[in-house]
Amino acid sequence: MSRILDWLERETGLVSAWNRFWLQPLPRGVGWAHTLGALTLLCLAVLFLTGAVLMFYYSPTPDQAYASVQYLEHQLPFGRFIRALHYWSARLIVPLMVLHLLRVFIWGAYKKPRQMIWVIGVFFFLLIVGFGLTGYALPWDQKAYWGTSVRLQIAESIPLIGGAIASFLKGGPELGSLTLMRFYVLHCFLFPLLTVVAVVIHIRQVHHLGVAPPWARVDQVDLFPRDQTLHPDQTARISLLAVLLTILLVYLASRYPAPLETRANPSDTAYRPHPDLYVLWLHELTKLFPPHLEFIASFLIPTLLLMALFLVPFVEKNPERALSKRIPVVSTGLLITFAIVLLNLKGLKALPREEPLTALEKHGQEIFVELKCYTCHGINGGGGPVGPDLGLGGKRDPEKVRAILKNPGSFNAHTVMPSYDLPEEKMTALVAYIVKIGPHSRMPPIPPVEPEKPPSHFEPGFLSDHKFEVRKDPEACNTCHRPFFCQACHQKRLPSSHDQNWLKFHIGNAAEQPKMCRSCHDDSYCADCHQKMRHDTAWITDHGKALEEWGHLTRWSEKTGLALCYQCHSKVSCDQCHQGAVPDNHRQPDFFRRHGEWVRVNPQKGNPEDNACTTCHAQQFCTNCHQERARPLSHQSPDYLWKGSVASRKGRGKSGHAREALQKGSASCATCHQPFFCTNCHGLPLPHGKNFLSIHSKEGAQNPSLCQRCHGWEDQECAQCHQRTRPRSHTPNYKKEHSRDPTLASGSCQVCHGKNACADCHRLPMPHPPDFIHTHGALARDRGITGAKAVSRLRQSLCSHCHTASYCRKCHLPDD
Amino acid sequence: MDQKVRRRRVLDILVKWAAAGVAGVFSIPALIAMVVPAFRRPTAVWIRLGPISEFSVNRPTAVSVSYQKRDGWVVRGFRRTVFVSALGPREFKVFSNICTHAACAVNWDDKRQGFYCPCHDALFARDGRVLSGPPPRPLDELPTKIEGGYLFVQMPA
Repeated sequence: MSRILDWLERETGLVSAWNRFWLQPLPRGVGWAHTLGALTLLCLAVLFLTGAVLMFYYSPTPDQAYASVQYLEHQLPFGRFIRALHYWSARLIVPLMVLHLLRVFIWGAYKKPRQMIWVIGVFFFLLIVGFGLTGYALPWDQKAYWGTSVRLQIAESIPLIGGAIASFLKGGPELGSLTLMRFYVLHCFLFPLLTVVAVVIHIRQVHHLGVAPPWARVDQVDLFPRDQTLHPDQTARISLLAVLLTILLVYLASRYPAPLETRANPSDTAYRPHPDLYVLWLHELTKLFPPHLEFIASFLIPTLLLMALFLVPFVEKNPERALSKRIPVVSTGLLITFAIVLLNLKGLKALPREEPLTALEKHGQEIFVELKCYTCHGINGGGGPVGPDLGLGGKRDPEKVRAILKNPGSFNAHTVMPSYDLPEEKMTALVAYIVKIGPHSRMPPIPPVEPEKPPSHFEPGFLSDHKFEVRKDPEACNTCHRPFFCQACHQKRLPSSHDQNWLKFHIGNAAEQPKMCRSCHDDSYCADCHQKMRHDTAWITDHGKALEEWGHLTRWSEKTGLALCYQCHSKVSCDQCHQGAVPDNHRQPDFFRRHGEWVRVNPQKGNPEDNACTTCHAQQFCTNCHQERARPLSHQSPDYLWKGSVASRKGRGKSGHAREALQKGSASCATCHQPFFCTNCHGLPLPHGKNFLSIHSKEGAQNPSLCQRCHGWEDQECAQCHQRTRPRSHTPNYKKEHSRDPTLASGSCQVCHGKNACADCHRLPMPHPPDFIHTHGALARDRGITGAKAVSRLRQSLCSHCHTASYCRKCHLPDD
Repeated sequence: MDQKVRRRRVLDILVKWAAAGVAGVFSIPALIAMVVPAFRRPTAVWIRLGPISEFSVNRPTAVSVSYQKRDGWVVRGFRRTVFVSALGPREFKVFSNICTHAACAVNWDDKRQGFYCPCHDALFARDGRVLSGPPPRPLDELPTKIEGGYLFVQMPA
């Protein structure tokens, strides 16, 4: 150790400088009052240390800043303590520094030759103000956002340069990411750097010029004995007070954590920021001036005071330090100080004060947080955007509050507020708390929600637009929200899709997006209805029995029996079967199972109106049952829709529905299906009309794949006709002109001519691939066309089918 | 004079102790706060895949899972696809769908009866073994458990 110190001394002389510093002699009379500067320095050291830790866990972007502070508060061991230490050191450094300044002022310690010590000190004071202003914004909670926006507003009110200052601080058009980053860099880099420089100079100056002997005339300094040293005489005093200050800081930090309000919400209209304790006097001062002169209070007076502060040592050149000989200066200084303190006290009194809560109301507040009322209701800002802010509005009637909590619908039929049936004791407490909430109440601290809401949730219209997000990807919501999250609101107000026709159509949605249903309904929800109400083929015979059994279905208890059927079926649909006289065959025990046979035997082809069934039954009668699951038996064969894949259909015959449609005619399909049902898939009217043959060239040429859905190339179905009758487009000149046929690109040639039709004649890839211009030379060489006459030989060959002799010269020179 | 020297010596020691104490009070919590998160173990999450009856024994079922991953104060939602391969009525293996060779997404191929990776023609068996192709090791298996008739899988958090 000593060798290292020796080396250090040899190289830098720091060790002796260090010793000289601590052993500097101090004049008699330096005592307790002279410890304030050191205590300020201790606070500054704590701020630097804790600030460094905070920087480890802080992200200066609006979308992460608040979350990172929350992480620090809740996830980090000692995180809350460190932040509270930072907060309380910052609070205490201001009065300590003001006291230090007053001490120097009263003792007249700034007199010649120590004027610049004072100036640097005031500069340091300015830096601390800057620290306060920038640090205020960093947590990005409501207070940070709105407080900063007020300060920027004040900066803007400064005449002439105000706009420029505010724009520089904002860094962009609005208070946002650019502002936060600026404040961060100022607070954590530039200001600390300047502070270190200022403090080093300040301390070095005091050491160099010596502490001013108390009450000594400037020209009699040398007469004062210097009978103590900085260490240990003065450091002992400092240490004692430093230990006390440490105890105070630790007590404050562990007892009163740094405030953290809800996340900054620029669209919150209910939040009211309050001026900070240390600027209350400015706030009170502004009240004394009319609005158009406000800048006098908010800017002119503070600036003048600051200038005066800088100039004090140069104005007061009186060599006396004794108070009795400096009465005008000292009394002016103290008067101003008193005025500021008084104004601050006045402001403190005028500050709206929240009435203290009684034990019952406190309990109510806990219930308010526990029930998460804040997700919808704010208290003077900070809450969710759904319900009204409870800080607004006048005094509430406890009975009405109770009634609304028990049954919100009684107040407003369209409300989404869930009803709260609380035990009497809890209800009383909650009602008492809600009644107590007034215009000055504050939102109680809310436990952090994990994970933090994505930025989209803070957009103004999110509440009304969230359904689009849900529809896009219900699974994405489930990453954060528990399955029954939606029901909190939607048990009162159904999603807009769930209208009166919803029950009829819900099957389609459920089949397409089952996850969507699951975002509100649990897995057993469908089974509640569908295990009994399976509309399958057996249903028609079983539904009577099932209806008898349903007296007590849990979820639909108020809609038992037939009412349940009426959700989908019209009221007359029972009568369609259950009427008086029925034909004999209807009485056969297995008629329901076999009625398909009757339908198939009896319809008179082409006219479903004359169907034997339609004598009694309406045309839509069948669809009452034959929806999705209860399709006719024929529809249930596995090959009904497809006979294998499209590509491998060759040779396997037609699919079930095609066979049926061809055998029985389309009228049989039309019993249930609308006329355009086939077109939905086939894209063409089916069966093809009488004159289809004459118009098919148009459809076929434009979109050959449409034909290929049923007719295969390999089947040579086209060729069967077209060997005899060529397509109308194939005029005698077609061979020459076919390159100009607009349908060429659609691949319609291949329908008859096969895939290699073009290459068969052209013996070249047709149409030429994009890089043909680069490869055609190589192609020619491959085919042995080289040498001096290559070009002319080429001309006579393949290319000349299409291109004229001058074509090559577009690129090549004549003798190339 | 002797007394004055002793007083100075006592004060010197007291001041040094006070300075050490004050420094300790502030810097020890600061040090802990700086160091501790670096040594936190990652926590894994169990995700419910669904009732065990839902997973066919005939072919592996693809299930898309979404879960949150915590990175300091940033909590992000992640979505992955896993394959549930039912080897018996209560015996399941859950595989990540990421090929162990070049991290392409594998898919179950009925024709080949295996997890097929289209990037380099790799094929994995139902139990994750490499049947053919370049992968250096079997498909990554994720820890599973069955609770109350539901299959859970543990995603690396």
